[in-house]
Amino acid sequence: MIPQLVTVGWRRGDGRWRRIYVPVLPVLLVLSPLLLLAVLGGLIACFIFGVSALGALRGAGRLVWALPGTRFEIEDGSMGVLVNVR
Amino acid sequence: MNEQRRQVLQMLSDSKITADEAERLIDALDRDRFPSSRAAGPGTKPRPKYLRVVVIADEGSGSHWAGEASGGDGSARINIRVPLQLLRAGVRLTSLVPPQALTRANAELHRSGVDIDLTQLKPQQLEELIEHLDELTVDIDSAEAKVQVFCE
Repeated sequence: MIPQLVTVGWRRGDGRWRRIYVPVLPVLLVLSPLLLLAVLGGLIACFIFGVSALGALRGAGRLVWALPGTRFEIEDGSMGVLVNVR
Repeated sequence: MNEQRRQVLQMLSDSKITADEAERLIDALDRDRFPSSRAAGPGTKPRPKYLRVVVIADEGSGSHWAGEASGGDGSARINIRVPLQLLRAGVRLTSLVPPQALTRANAELHRSGVDIDLTQLKPQQLEELIEHLDELTVDIDSAEAKVQVFCE
């Protein structure tokens, strides 16, 4: 399953957490023209550097599919960063 | 739960219990830990899905490393959870690296004094490494910091 919600959070100097919830699918739809350009650019780069374009697409797809469940949480003194993929 | 298992092994090493008793106790601990899987069938163990890295450093302990990690203000905590599937997907990407890039990377590594031949590193071996990660447990507990790496 592709990621559905990405939570990005950070703790400010005053100790309060601020979180942004990013719904992946709507954002992807909005950015789909740019995404298409990026994919085309990637395919051209694959062709230039002699990398299998199909393999690269499959690998990138696997990476995206495996992302849900990833969580990075780093707190450093009064500061903190959180990235959670669901 | 790991602590209980360690206590059982400690009792065994102290000869307070026999090997049979230790085995029964560890089996009982496993049953408590994985009741549903045990009910599904004997010997089946749920495969871990995530690799966890937890670091807790306390600056109050006066550790140089902890002080650096916390930026000199309070304690530092790192909690990372990565799906093993993501590691597998990443490892499979290594098969896409063109041979000429590996040769150049080898030359740069050699120049930096690291004699590792990346061309000898096969994706299959890396996948085996990921497969056996579920048996990995790193538990460092010192006055300066606590580091845990495990699969769950």
